[in-house]
Amino acid sequence: MKETAVSILENIRKGSLEMEDYVFKKLELIRKKDNIINAYISIDSEDFILDRINEIKRNIASGKKMKIPGLVVSIKDNISTNFLPTTAGSKILENYIPPYNATVVEKILEEGGIIIGKTNLDEFAMGSTTEFSAYGLTRNPWDITRVPGGSSGGSAASLAYGSCDLSLGSDTGGSIRLPASYTATVGLKPTYGTVSRYGLIPYANSLEQISPMARSVKDLALIWDVIKGYDEKDATSVNNNYKSDNKFKICIPKEFIEESEPPIKSTIYKLLEKIENEGVAIEYEGKFENLKYALPTYYTIAFAEAASNLARYDGKLYPISSEGLSYKEMSENTRRYYFGFEVKKRILMGVLALSEGFINDYYIAATKGRRIIRDEILNMTKNCIVASSVSPILPPKIGERIKDPLKLYAMDIYTVVANLAGVPALAMPAGFYNNLPIGIQFMAGPFEEEKLISLGSLVEEITGLYNLIAGD
Amino acid sequence: MKYKIGLEIHTQLSEAGTKLFCDCDSNYRKYEPNTNVCPVCLGLPGALPVPRRNPLKLALLVSKSFNCEIPEFMVFTRKHYFYPDLPKNYQITQYEKAGGIPVCLKGILKYFDSDHLTWKSVTLRRMNIEEDPGKTEYSGGNILLSEYAYLDYNRSGVPLLEVVTEPEIPTPRDARKAVEYLLLTMEYIGAINPRLEGSFRVDANVSVEGGERVEVKNIGSTLDLEKALKYEIFRQSKIVEEGGKIKRETRHWDSIRGVTKPLRSKETEEEYLYFPDPDIPSIKTEPLLKEALSSNFMTPENFMNRITMYGVSQRIAWSLITVKPAAELFLESVRIGSDPKITARILAIDYKGLLKKSGKNIYEKSNWPNKQILKLLSTLVSNKLYTYDELKYNILPKLLENGNDMNLVLPEKVEPTNLIISVINEEKKAVEDFISGKREALDYLVGKVLKKAKGKAIDPKTIRKMIEITLTKH
Repeated sequence: MKETAVSILENIRKGSLEMEDYVFKKLELIRKKDNIINAYISIDSEDFILDRINEIKRNIASGKKMKIPGLVVSIKDNISTNFLPTTAGSKILENYIPPYNATVVEKILEEGGIIIGKTNLDEFAMGSTTEFSAYGLTRNPWDITRVPGGSSGGSAASLAYGSCDLSLGSDTGGSIRLPASYTATVGLKPTYGTVSRYGLIPYANSLEQISPMARSVKDLALIWDVIKGYDEKDATSVNNNYKSDNKFKICIPKEFIEESEPPIKSTIYKLLEKIENEGVAIEYEGKFENLKYALPTYYTIAFAEAASNLARYDGKLYPISSEGLSYKEMSENTRRYYFGFEVKKRILMGVLALSEGFINDYYIAATKGRRIIRDEILNMTKNCIVASSVSPILPPKIGERIKDPLKLYAMDIYTVVANLAGVPALAMPAGFYNNLPIGIQFMAGPFEEEKLISLGSLVEEITGLYNLIAGD
Repeated sequence: MKYKIGLEIHTQLSEAGTKLFCDCDSNYRKYEPNTNVCPVCLGLPGALPVPRRNPLKLALLVSKSFNCEIPEFMVFTRKHYFYPDLPKNYQITQYEKAGGIPVCLKGILKYFDSDHLTWKSVTLRRMNIEEDPGKTEYSGGNILLSEYAYLDYNRSGVPLLEVVTEPEIPTPRDARKAVEYLLLTMEYIGAINPRLEGSFRVDANVSVEGGERVEVKNIGSTLDLEKALKYEIFRQSKIVEEGGKIKRETRHWDSIRGVTKPLRSKETEEEYLYFPDPDIPSIKTEPLLKEALSSNFMTPENFMNRITMYGVSQRIAWSLITVKPAAELFLESVRIGSDPKITARILAIDYKGLLKKSGKNIYEKSNWPNKQILKLLSTLVSNKLYTYDELKYNILPKLLENGNDMNLVLPEKVEPTNLIISVINEEKKAVEDFISGKREALDYLVGKVLKKAKGKAIDPKTIRKMIEITLTKH
């Protein structure tokens, strides 16, 4: 039996596991492996970690109840921390140390988590492969010639090679689910508004949620319990006491699986059969009429919001700045030299989508498309959990997809729908093909995270695919 | 020549207590640069705007006061432009297109024309709530001599209420009166202190018949507004009369030179990429308005109606209303039985004059006598213990010296005839001067009588008249 976050927590509570030994072993692993994998952008100093361990020990001694004391957590580098730089994977935020912590970071610290480092991502979370980081690409620990998915590829890889117990990513259009499926880890994109976005460097505000990741659904439940909940610092945060029942039926809209590569299709259908054998009702005749509108709708809204969010990086408030004879020259140079190509492309498309003469055909049209898709999903998830592929393809080789933007964007076809509709979606291992992980996605109605976690726990018992560490 | 005037008035909700989206102070003036800031008003990545209730409530009260159409929901929009003092390079505002909904869609600004003692009105196109940017400053106050530009974000995020009128204001004087009335109403609501430096700015649109619209920006006082409009109408009329054309442009008011200067020609609408701010869900107006209306407030118009009901003239009433503590004190003391006319005269004219002369702040309520003292004072006159002038010259100045002292020792009344006679006997030279036509001698004689009556209640006007009569009889 491999260590799980749940069992480690037990051992720490019993006192049979020495926190220092445990955390320093993780640090050693990072030192050994991360020069190849590159899951982290920054890592805590040993002194900092020792101080943190002592603080947690003092809290334990004083009788403080904590949910994850001593567990090692990695955090995507677009989530603000006042003790480590927060770069969002961009040169333009190099050396930026926020003067405040994101709400989720405060919660993790409060509950005894040890934040070991900040993980790599596509610049400003714009990408699906973690190749667009200004701090180098991240490799997939299962096959270092392949990408780990993105944009939370650093978080997924940090879990997949065992450098931490739990991780936080962010999911704008599949940014934790795609990496989870490519690295045999688990990711839950929560209902929009259930996790505070305060401190998350925005890419597309109306779509994204900070999202927990782990190596098993049961571990994931630990960190989900820590980070969820209303936050007065986020006006889109919801105050909700919804309790979902644990009765579930699964439905399969063909469009969500049929276009996937054959090994993915067959793996998922085989798994579904096993799930059905466990007594879960499955309906195979589902239909999702508007899937074809999902990608254009998603990317139009995401780019428009991104263009707006990224306007602030002009060299006046952050450490990186180009010189110029005027404010105009300074800001133009800063943006020209320190934004990556993909980011600039998305800003330009976003500006177009919001411009006079274009806004009706692009941004406004997309918001209408979004309502149509949301209504269809809400209707479908009223009665059942939607099962689907996470990605239509197996983890691509490094460099393979980023050459062609349309192919790159098409990787998100099954994941963007949950973000457009604001509903929760769980990605978890379904199987392997040629030693490459394949994931399955379950999408439920708003606030039905608990239902997804119960189903996910059942599924991981069926597959036995949990707590997998690459190279073990 | 016919002309049209429309206004955009940017008012700071300086008394809101908080900024629009965070808890930093709405009155930023007392802080060292960049100390009244937080991640939200600095626009740091990840910090989120959460609309604060008080600024929204105040804006709704202003809307209500001007009979606005208040929509069911407000929707904040982002307006994008790159500028050093704008931390996010977009301003959160309420644009009525592209999905935004402002706090007020259409209203009526009814204002008091104190020159003609009459109520007038101008249609409001809309009001919208938005955040103020920070400030760029230059060493030595001069952009050309300063090596650096200094950014101060203390003001960033302060709530602004932008009030836009239709272009139907008849004269520059009316523009001034309308803005003054708007500000006074907002002061009564507790939204603004219009006397704070930079608490409001006006942009004015002016077009003369046959010309296009010219916008004059950066007008910082109501006096300047009247001047700028007069100047601009004169300038444009002259060009048209001489056969020239007025092109659409934006001009800048130079208050030192008293002229408008070209800023930029404005051929087309600028591209601001407006869209609803995804960080701020739409806000229901009804519960906020209900909460706001539960604290009773009165507009200047309400005050005018109440005060004139007591038989006080509109002119005196207006004079009370322009100084909020005076208007409030009037109603408070009349309610406990003060004589309305005497009280109004004390507050609107004589005590106000004394306060001003002594350099005290007339807008500070604690500088005024309280309602009990006012009642006592008015009773002294209405019960004929003193004449009003005796009160004015002998009691009010003492009150000012002693502050709100209820144990004010009332001066002894004195029969002035004997004093006058003895002065006339003593001051032979002055008497001769007066008789030979020197009016100044009379002032001297009055002064001598007052000196003899020192500490006692005496009315200089009566003394003057008595001396005059006595000496003319000679």
